Amino acid sequence: MNGIHDLGGMQGFGPVVREKNEPVFHADWERHVFAMLNLTMAAGQYNVDEVRHSIERMPPAEYLTSPYYEHWLYGAENLLDRKGVVTRAELAQRIAELTRKGQT
Amino acid sequence: MDEHSHTEPPSAPALRIKALESLLVEKGLVDPGAVEEIIDQFEKRIGPRNGAKVVAHAWADPAYKKRLLEDGSKAIAELGFTGLQGEDMVILENTPTVHNVVVCTLCSCYPWPTLGLPPNWYKAAPYRARIVLEPRKVLAEFGLDVPADVEVRVWDSNAEIRYMVLPMRPAGTDGWSEEKLAELVTRDTMIGTQVPETQA
Amino acid sequence: MMPALPKDMVALAIKTGASARAELKAPPRFKAGDKVVARNINPATHTRLPRYIRGKQGVVQSNRGGFVFADTRAHGLGDQPQHVYSVRFEAHALWGADAAPHDAVYIDLWESYIEPASER
Repeated sequence: MNGIHDLGGMQGFGPVVREKNEPVFHADWERHVFAMLNLTMAAGQYNVDEVRHSIERMPPAEYLTSPYYEHWLYGAENLLDRKGVVTRAELAQRIAELTRKGQT
Repeated sequence: MDEHSHTEPPSAPALRIKALESLLVEKGLVDPGAVEEIIDQFEKRIGPRNGAKVVAHAWADPAYKKRLLEDGSKAIAELGFTGLQGEDMVILENTPTVHNVVVCTLCSCYPWPTLGLPPNWYKAAPYRARIVLEPRKVLAEFGLDVPADVEVRVWDSNAEIRYMVLPMRPAGTDGWSEEKLAELVTRDTMIGTQVPETQA
Repeated sequence: MMPALPKDMVALAIKTGASARAELKAPPRFKAGDKVVARNINPATHTRLPRYIRGKQGVVQSNRGGFVFADTRAHGLGDQPQHVYSVRFEAHALWGADAAPHDAVYIDLWESYIEPASER
């Protein structure tokens, strides 16, 4: 699709910004998103092409302004919901439970 | 799309992944021990030191270099680096007349077995958009000025072949051990945004 | 669908990976040296043919071999393997006369992404 991910040749993004001594993961949630996506793929829930396309369907402004691993999280949530493996309702319920228990 | 997206913002990623992981574990789709193991592998064990060993070996052993350029995956496998996101490798040799640099304009494809996981700048819009369009300006931002008579080749990893640059061996390194040579090979020299420092 | 990958299989799974290579019976349509033009396709579905390449003329460098087709796999339409070619596009062909004269982009194109360039 002609999505925002298809960036080759676009202008206006400014300089390449590099972080000194950048860690592999910037936060624990990134570690777990990385693990979750690879393990669900290994378990055959979806293939890498499905994941990439799921990410491509992210709203453009969100794609450009969110941290990288949030793309993976968005992609996985949508695929798992579409396939009925983990629905949005289940996820919302679990989030609500965790919030009530103060485990945010 | 999130059905609540028109009324409230989504929860923070940390909360979302905690919720999602707990559900996946409960459903028997993800093993918590596997979560820890795969994180450990990519945070602590798999990284650009692997690629540096490949490059140093190629510099020290011309026959290995030939094999590496003929069949990247097979030659890299001789050193034990194989697998996920590096199943089909092509090595790009920098020469006095050709400078290679790698990108994935469409997402973030990168040779994990030899370089580990990519840095944020490789995955973000400025690099992906500009390196195919104006490579010399981008490389200059990395401190690398490519002479006008050297050809810059930008390799877009849009399919499943994964690319790694074999930088030129710097002057002043004759007789160096492979261990010492490998120290000169940084991650960015294998992406192609930098070159190893001359030792002469 | 498989069960969860267990902890003690993780290292092996990483080392093994999952190559996208595939056998195909059909002979390749193109060979090194062929002048090709990237098709102007604009599917709303998944494709790995970037917009900056579509409609541009390049030269086939090599046949990378057969690979499963991302465009169909993304939508549950099967592997549909094709020959994939490494194709070189001169910077000026992509970006116009002001582009650096000696530079080029190399990209891997599935056979259905390209057509023979017309004689000019």
